[in-house]
Amino acid sequence: MNRLDNQLSRRRFLQASAAVGAAVSLGGITAACNAIGQPAVQGGTFNWMTWGDHYIDTQLKAIEASDKIVPQISELAGNAEGFAKLKEVKGELDQMSGDALWVPDAYFAEGLIEPFDINELKVSSQLYPFARQFEIWTKPEGYLGYPFGWSPISIYYNVEHVTPAPDSWAVLLDPKYKGRIVIENQPEEIVAYMGKASGVDDVYNMTDDQLATVKGLLEQLKPNVLKFAQQATDSVNAMTSEEAWLITGNLGNEDRVKDGGGPEIKGFIPKEGTVGWMDAEMIVKEGKNKSLLFPFMEKSQQAEYIAENFITHGRPLFNEAAYKILVDKGEGDRADRYLYNKAEETLAKTTLKGPGTSTEKSIQLFNEVFGA
Amino acid sequence: MTTEIVGGAALAPPTAIGGRRSARLRQLAPFLPAMVIIVGLFVVPLALMFVFSFWSTNENLDVVPVWTLENYQNFFTNPTYVRTLFKTMVIGAGVTVVCLVVAFVVAYFLSRYVSRRWARIALLIIIVPFWTSYLLRVYSWQAILGEHGALNQVLVGLGILREPSLLFVYNDFGTFIVLAYLYIPFAALVLYASLERFDFTQLTAAQDLGAGPVAAFRRVLLPQIRPGLITACIFVFIPILGEFLTPSMVGGAQGLLIANLLANFFKTALIPEGAAVGFLIAAFVTALLIVFRRYLRVQDVVVRG
Amino acid sequence: MDPLETMPVSRHGRAIRRAMQVGFAALIVFLYLPIVFMIVFSFDEGATPGLPITSFTLHWYEAMLNNRVLLRAVGNSVTVAIIVSILATVIGTMAAFVLVRGRIRFPNATRIAFTLPIMVPGVLIGVSLLIYFARVLDLSLSLATVVAGHLVVTVPFVVLIVASRLQSFDRSLEWAAADLGASPRRAIRHIVLPLIAPAIIAGALISVTLSIDEFVITWFTVGSQPTLPTFIYTRVKFGVTPEVNAVATVMLFVTLGTLGLAAVALSRARRMTGRSRRRRGAG
Repeated sequence: MNRLDNQLSRRRFLQASAAVGAAVSLGGITAACNAIGQPAVQGGTFNWMTWGDHYIDTQLKAIEASDKIVPQISELAGNAEGFAKLKEVKGELDQMSGDALWVPDAYFAEGLIEPFDINELKVSSQLYPFARQFEIWTKPEGYLGYPFGWSPISIYYNVEHVTPAPDSWAVLLDPKYKGRIVIENQPEEIVAYMGKASGVDDVYNMTDDQLATVKGLLEQLKPNVLKFAQQATDSVNAMTSEEAWLITGNLGNEDRVKDGGGPEIKGFIPKEGTVGWMDAEMIVKEGKNKSLLFPFMEKSQQAEYIAENFITHGRPLFNEAAYKILVDKGEGDRADRYLYNKAEETLAKTTLKGPGTSTEKSIQLFNEVFGA
Repeated sequence: MTTEIVGGAALAPPTAIGGRRSARLRQLAPFLPAMVIIVGLFVVPLALMFVFSFWSTNENLDVVPVWTLENYQNFFTNPTYVRTLFKTMVIGAGVTVVCLVVAFVVAYFLSRYVSRRWARIALLIIIVPFWTSYLLRVYSWQAILGEHGALNQVLVGLGILREPSLLFVYNDFGTFIVLAYLYIPFAALVLYASLERFDFTQLTAAQDLGAGPVAAFRRVLLPQIRPGLITACIFVFIPILGEFLTPSMVGGAQGLLIANLLANFFKTALIPEGAAVGFLIAAFVTALLIVFRRYLRVQDVVVRG
Repeated sequence: MDPLETMPVSRHGRAIRRAMQVGFAALIVFLYLPIVFMIVFSFDEGATPGLPITSFTLHWYEAMLNNRVLLRAVGNSVTVAIIVSILATVIGTMAAFVLVRGRIRFPNATRIAFTLPIMVPGVLIGVSLLIYFARVLDLSLSLATVVAGHLVVTVPFVVLIVASRLQSFDRSLEWAAADLGASPRRAIRHIVLPLIAPAIIAGALISVTLSIDEFVITWFTVGSQPTLPTFIYTRVKFGVTPEVNAVATVMLFVTLGTLGLAAVALSRARRMTGRSRRRRGAG
């Protein structure tokens, strides 16, 4: 009994030490990972929920070094999801990025964000003047967000396979292109595009009759769609590999496909009009660390970083001074291709994204058509 | 004389009412944390969602206590939901069958012809892929099955196809293959656990008594591993009803399954509508289990596994 | 192995056995095919995963080490998985004991209640927890809420696996121990637990597996902390740059390495205590 006990306990001991050893090494690795991830010293951290192209690593590193401010970034998937999350977590986030009409009609209406005087931020003088005065973002209490970037939704087509050169949403419905179209996995937006295709202007507040027409267009669209892209790069890759000949997307895809070694593609804004977005950084009213936001933005919104952001991510942005830097760096052509300097007129022609009265019906409609 | 050994504390002879009650509490104490989790973190939140499913969403995408049956009615008036649920079940059943067959062969092989030690290593090898990211694995399947993917390149290179086929992915076939891929290891684990306890000499004995090999399998082996087979079925089929990532990544625009429709609601912050669909799915699963309960003998499954 | 046990059932036994060996190998190839691709792409220069591989580079591994959010995500995921596994195993095993041996008023109903979390779509559980934590409990979301969410789906597995093993456990061993003078607690510790250890370990392994790659529930219950699956998902939204592949590859080999070390340690322990490996364990 004693020997058995000893053997059992020796085995137990060895097993225990093996387990402890494994746990310690795993713990060590974990701690190392966490240590690398923590900011060096106090100054502050704040919580920022945003899209992945609102920042670049060099910018964050530099601001950490100079001001010791480090944002804890959680990635934003879409406006509705972000809005739902913020509604629940409120003060756990400090800065929130959002699009167009979501800012006043959802976030502000719900009392989640705090307007501010944009002129208090010195760096705001680098913005295009009209960007500081968007009507939809102006309230008596102040401005609702710090403008960052924008884009209309365009259609891109493979020059070789898509002829004649299209100019309308109808090209997506052409049976010639069966299984050759990739569009983003955003049901409410897809319904909105088809709303545009059917001639509706206010596509986020459609009537039942308008939705009925849209249903017919969606049914025509369905067999043409190869797959829904989880995000933009999927669409770009599909064009590059020529799996797809038509995609929808933000500005700049021609270059992206070319950079990926793909065929020549062209983009256009459909003649019926399109939807678009412009996003801004919002201050969360109950954010516990919001005092850090102004110092952070004074640095992060500087033209040099914005210019670098453009070079990295390739979306037109609202910083005018950055445009000049891009021109000096020889990127002016590219910026012009992306309509960088033409924000005001382009946006005037787009219907801005936002929550609407027909959102629920749009999803029902989408499910109805694209379900089995 | 047998002392009832219960949860570490021997049941004391009833001395006083208080003694028995505190003994019972001590007996049940280890169960409490699990119960707190199931009740507090599962039942209660779902009950809340159940209430929400009868409410509505307003224009600001808020859930407002406007009572309605519309969320549930929609599921039936809008034919797509029932159709998609049916399609999901068909695919789910197909994947389950494939998984069971493959997993059975694997488990049989490992439990019968391979030593314990190597069998356990083999099982670990089978399960290790689970420890890498689901999303990356499914993403890799796109690269394998796609128009310019590895499979097409091999087939075209071998001359079997003249040009790359678009038929492998972004359709139900792609969903089927990837789902089978994802669930075979799970089924293999479950079946192995069951087969491991089976005494294979029984098969030889059956043959000695005159049974052919097929009969031996059917009448000796299968009945005894039946709980394992049922468990494997349940652990594959039911989660498939909740799969939405795989269909969205490899199922193409024609391949949406019921959970995608559900996810579309939640992605747009339409909580009541989504909750209704979710509960209907769960109710349907429960109904299935009840209808087939005698055949499945669910208690056996849950008890003997 | 006992020849009687491995004697094939039918005439074609040898051929069938050979076929099974081949089939098993084919299955392993099938299971690891995407993994191989994933690893290969982590060395590919081009940012888009796809054939052909243009050129080999370690660039992405370097980028991985520089990407703080990614590293924090890995750290968080591993931490959560370990905590969840320990908690689920302990809570589940305790519950299994009471479920099998205790006098619960509605044993079948309770058992079914434990299988329910597996029946409900993960999306529904996730959303319900988000609303519950945020509105009802007014808790701030954090890794703790993630752990709580993971426990909902891991504890049932542990309970079911351990309970099933415990159900078929041969009690006569405990009675023999009692006859030899061991207290019930001692019997449990030295007789029962070691013999049902495989089931407990299986439960722990399943808990880690489920937790480390858990995406759907995590997505809803996490605060601003990144975890690996949610990071990858949002990266999938912006482009799966091969840094993610690099991380997955590293994690894979770390896991294999740890398992290998543990296996070596355990086999050495077994050799030292001379426990026979041939017996089919009692009960």
